[in-house]
Amino acid sequence: MIRFSRITKTYDDLTVIRDLDLEIAEGEFCVLIGASGSGKSTILKMINRLVEHTSGEIRFAGAEIRSFKPEIIRRRMGYAIQSVGLFPHWTIENNIATVPRLLGWDEARIDQRIADLLRLLDMDASRFRKAYPHQLSGGQQQRIGVARALAADPDVLLMDEPFGALDPITRDGLQTEIRRIHGETGKTIVFVTHDMDEALKLATRIVVLDKGGIVQAATPRELLNAPANAFVREFLGKDDYGLKLLLVELVSDHMRQGEISSGCETISAGDNLRNALSTLLALKGDRLSVIDRTGQPIGTLHLPDIVS
Amino acid sequence: MPLIRNRPLLALALVAGAGLGLLPFLSHAPNRLISGQPVWFSALQPLHQIMCAAPLIALLAGAILPQRRRVLSGSITAAFLLLALLLFVAGAEAARLGASAASSARTSFGSGFWVASLAAALMLADLLSRANHAPSWRFLAGFGAAMPAAIMLATGHLDDLSVMKEYAAKQDVFRQALLRHVVIVTGALLPTLVLGVPLGVLAFRTAGFGRTVLAILNVIQTVPSIALFGLLMAPLSALALLMPTLRDLGISGIGLAPAIIALTLYCMLPIVRNTLEGLAQVPAHIVDAARGMGMTPRQVFWQVEVPLALPVFVSGLRITLVQAIGLAAVAALIGAGGLGSIMFQGLFANALDLVLLGAVPIVILAMVVDALFKLGVSQMGRAA
Repeated sequence: MIRFSRITKTYDDLTVIRDLDLEIAEGEFCVLIGASGSGKSTILKMINRLVEHTSGEIRFAGAEIRSFKPEIIRRRMGYAIQSVGLFPHWTIENNIATVPRLLGWDEARIDQRIADLLRLLDMDASRFRKAYPHQLSGGQQQRIGVARALAADPDVLLMDEPFGALDPITRDGLQTEIRRIHGETGKTIVFVTHDMDEALKLATRIVVLDKGGIVQAATPRELLNAPANAFVREFLGKDDYGLKLLLVELVSDHMRQGEISSGCETISAGDNLRNALSTLLALKGDRLSVIDRTGQPIGTLHLPDIVS
Repeated sequence: MPLIRNRPLLALALVAGAGLGLLPFLSHAPNRLISGQPVWFSALQPLHQIMCAAPLIALLAGAILPQRRRVLSGSITAAFLLLALLLFVAGAEAARLGASAASSARTSFGSGFWVASLAAALMLADLLSRANHAPSWRFLAGFGAAMPAAIMLATGHLDDLSVMKEYAAKQDVFRQALLRHVVIVTGALLPTLVLGVPLGVLAFRTAGFGRTVLAILNVIQTVPSIALFGLLMAPLSALALLMPTLRDLGISGIGLAPAIIALTLYCMLPIVRNTLEGLAQVPAHIVDAARGMGMTPRQVFWQVEVPLALPVFVSGLRITLVQAIGLAAVAALIGAGGLGSIMFQGLFANALDLVLLGAVPIVILAMVVDALFKLGVSQMGRAA
């Protein structure tokens, strides 16, 4: 879908990206992670040409990105950023309609799309459509930011630390949401963060960056099991390394399928084992009833299952 | 509990009372050449004394009573009445004094009237801001406060006051001066907008250019207005001599042309600066989002930057316009006419009423423009 070949980016004398090769496949949830100054945001912004690369070649859907007008390529890519950047003088529905309007969709189709997106992000249309951004909480604003990015059904979703400014509970909710959306739509997502927990939870592939180069690119599980070097190990953290391992394991892979139990707390099959452990510890329990998306019990997770 | 609940109101009410008690309310002279004799508040008709004293006493009470909603509404009504009745009494007393004197007699406002009126206006402003209503409501209240004066003017109740006698004698001159004043201000405002707004946008786009432009405009701004008018006389008259077509168009060293040019130069700085500041305060992340969504530079400018810069720009325009209305008075000194010419005529002839006839409309014009713009900005803010 997106391929970087020998990409270098320099500002005057300063080289921020050096000789980068990276391929992001269709349907991937690719998380770029690194400390500030690692070049992760620069890489993201080179994809939609908010930052122009100095040398090398970036191909999008087979074509060099400079063969498109910047506006044309940007309208094919959803864009969500940490500060959200909703237009304060536009209502929520007009904010969501930004890219469809730029693409010249007819109003009936736009209207339908706004309704669908608000439903997808679990926002009450009657309450929010005519509201202005300042009337929304930070979490609600970012939901609208995500809806706006998804509005024109883009080929790729570019997200620059979208949940970085939110409180932990809101962030957790939106992370679950974006993973669900990824699962349901199969969109290619490129996601920038500096939070390893977030990367492990969301990514199908994590690209660890340092000083403008790739240190390791691997699935979350590979990254945890075989960190390429001390830098990656450091990034993964020492104290809660074991808990991070649980983060990439899904309840559905460890539960006892078909064993229906009642009288205990529930957890959804798509949740990770760390949340399961946390719930069990809080309840001082030894098992959880596992439910599917519709709320039907499909199995049981016992405490020993978590470490087996 | 403190004994006095609203100290500013009490202070202002006492000032108003002192003004009425210690200073002459009106000044009466047999003709305009002789300086007037004071007419004290105590010499007014008893009914007139009560008309002024009653709302003042109510205001004193309003300052001491607990500031409940009803007390506040009562105080606002009292301040409104005081302001209107002071003017009414002045007009009525002038008519009474005029009836028993020759037609050349002149009755003008005394210092007591001015002090009391100013205090009443300040009380009204203070009380209205305490009532904390929406800007549009405050605009209406201000408009309402001006209504009694307008009605008294229209019905001729104030005709025996010397300002109005001057007005009656100079009605045509006044009307022309007022029109000319508006012409000078709009004549300067249009080129300022046409030149200043693009300059401001350009200054925003290219930082180096912006610094240069603002530096130059800052220097112009520091030149005293009279000096700037004077400085333009020489080159413009030289130009008119060289190019007779320009002279036929009415451009010369004195008159309308240098006035409009000087005023344009003055207005340029606030317009350029506010255009620049308006655009600069648009948050970078919103522009980033707009570009990232795929807006063309032109769409970013018109759909995002301009609407978000507008409130700052319009506040700048308001200040510029109010400043221009005041500065246009000075243009009278180089023969451009306007209300300034009446004002200066009065100053040079030591005729205070003539000064008022020129100055008061300038103040009213500036206040009306100011209020209209504030109302406009507050409505814009609500939409955003």
